[in-house]
Amino acid sequence: MKQIFFYFVAQLKRAARILPGQLAVDLSVCVCVGTLGCLLAAQGASQTEGMRYRIGLVGDLSDSYLGFGIAALQEMDDSRLMIELVGMPEEEAKKAFQQGELYAVVRVPEGLVESIVYGENDRPITYTATQGQKGLGTMVMGEITDIASTLVTASQGAIYAMQRVLAQEDRGEEIGRETDKLNLALINLVLSRSGFSDVEILGYADGLSFELFYFSKLLLLFLLLSGLLNSALFVSRSKSLPCFLKARQVGAAWQILCEYLAYFGLVLAGFFALCLPLSAALGRGLIGIPEWEGMGAVPFFSIWPAFLSVAAMFAALQFFLYEAADGIVNGILLQLICGITMGYISGYFYPSAFFPEKMRTLGSLFPSGMASDFVEGRLLGQLRAGAGAAVFVWTVVFLFLAAAVRGIKIRKG
Amino acid sequence: MEVEVSGIKKAYPHKTVLNNITFSTKAGSCVGILGSNGSGKSTLLSVLAGVHRADSGSFFYRGTDLLRRPGQIPRVLGYVPQTDPLMDELSAWDNLCMWYDKAAIRRELSEGALKVLGIDKFLKLPVRCMSGGMKKRLSIGCAVVSRPGILLLDEPSAALDPVCKENIREYLSVYKKEGGIILMATHDAQDLELCDACYILTNGELQAYQYDGDFHRLANILRME
Repeated sequence: MKQIFFYFVAQLKRAARILPGQLAVDLSVCVCVGTLGCLLAAQGASQTEGMRYRIGLVGDLSDSYLGFGIAALQEMDDSRLMIELVGMPEEEAKKAFQQGELYAVVRVPEGLVESIVYGENDRPITYTATQGQKGLGTMVMGEITDIASTLVTASQGAIYAMQRVLAQEDRGEEIGRETDKLNLALINLVLSRSGFSDVEILGYADGLSFELFYFSKLLLLFLLLSGLLNSALFVSRSKSLPCFLKARQVGAAWQILCEYLAYFGLVLAGFFALCLPLSAALGRGLIGIPEWEGMGAVPFFSIWPAFLSVAAMFAALQFFLYEAADGIVNGILLQLICGITMGYISGYFYPSAFFPEKMRTLGSLFPSGMASDFVEGRLLGQLRAGAGAAVFVWTVVFLFLAAAVRGIKIRKG
Repeated sequence: MEVEVSGIKKAYPHKTVLNNITFSTKAGSCVGILGSNGSGKSTLLSVLAGVHRADSGSFFYRGTDLLRRPGQIPRVLGYVPQTDPLMDELSAWDNLCMWYDKAAIRRELSEGALKVLGIDKFLKLPVRCMSGGMKKRLSIGCAVVSRPGILLLDEPSAALDPVCKENIREYLSVYKKEGGIILMATHDAQDLELCDACYILTNGELQAYQYDGDFHRLANILRME
């Protein structure tokens, strides 16, 4: 045991010698990534703030009812914040559309109003967008146009029908007043459509806000990829030292345990080096996380234990990969490939809900998926014992595998 | 005899590396193991050091079979592998502290093996800044602080300049005079001058060889093997 303790102390000394350089690398990487992230986020936010879908309206816009409806949408409806409707000649619209200045073009067919007056509903409004814009936005827009077309057709049909009935009953003096009343009733119906249903936004990962989701995922990604930053511990390792240790009755399992604990210390040091400025930023309210608003960094401190468990598992994974790889360059490449793949499949870049069911299941079984589940549980105030146990089991499995590889290396000499 | 190695066998799936290795030697002697590259010299030393397990055989030292009681090996045997088992980031002192308590190291630095090896002159130097000779001396130092009765050396003179070789040989002579037993795998003619008995390992079997100072004859024998 004395020999094992001496070896452990020596490994700690190694880690301590490497630590200042590693912290400098860690902080440099974090500052670069953080600055880049902030710049991109700020740029994205400003673009999103100023962005409204510009839709060209062409065709027969002469009807006063149609003009009134468009004006109502532009002045009173919530959609005015996202959509800008611009009436223009067809040629001009075509040119603007080709140059990408218009998101889409809505064409009101000639004689639309007349066809409605005569009860013929054979000239629908058409909505045109490019193939490249075929997405959720285009789909929703298409549906809205369809609804608007039907609504306009039906509502205007109702108005003209009412006018005809009033004229037949010799109540011509009431036509203007009744038409205004019916128009207002229809407009009220359209404008108050947001009250038809309650929309509940669950957020990411069963209830986390966008900010907290990515805050936790970025920390997990940092831990998952920290093997790249801590590679110095695996450079210039003596190939004969494991044999020498074995001759001193320090077997592969003890060797791995001593080295792993020192490596884990290095990972933790890097993690805390990142957490300290983050805590300060949270404390000063520089990072806005809705769930933690007004609470400073206290909630962040409370989830540290969850991150420490996960850090232990990722450190074991990284240690195993370095042990299994032949040479430091292969080890770094292996870390990179495994880290990015696991992170991607387990939803560290995009919420895993975007992925197909099979991929989601696979991602959740990966160590990165288990880590994510465990940390999310803690963020939501739940104790996910299954995920916690899986994190522990993965840690043991990776250490066992690393010891097995070390044993093989010793046997091969 | 202080050391009696008998019937040691070690085989891999497609090759028998060691077959019935038997020899003995007394205290204060040096045994040289010769052989071409890949003949199994390093495997023999690693089996005796307890790194690899022998398929059969015994290795008695003062009546104790070390292969059956591997826990005794660190106390009685020092092993210096071919490549230096050192940590590059640490100093000579820290590397020594990896194996022994500080009192023993200080004792050896003031009047023992570490002083003879000259390690006190580069005690604070990190291994990555050391020359090959310094590293080899430190490796030997790491093996002998506990004053083991047997020292296993795997090509101790490989890639060293003459001054370093001489320095190491001086220490090994002292070690022998103090009653230590050296088992050394080597290719170096000058190392053989230190040996009281030589063996050539060929096809897994050990044959006694009387070295008469004619290295060319030895080279021819090894070439033919």
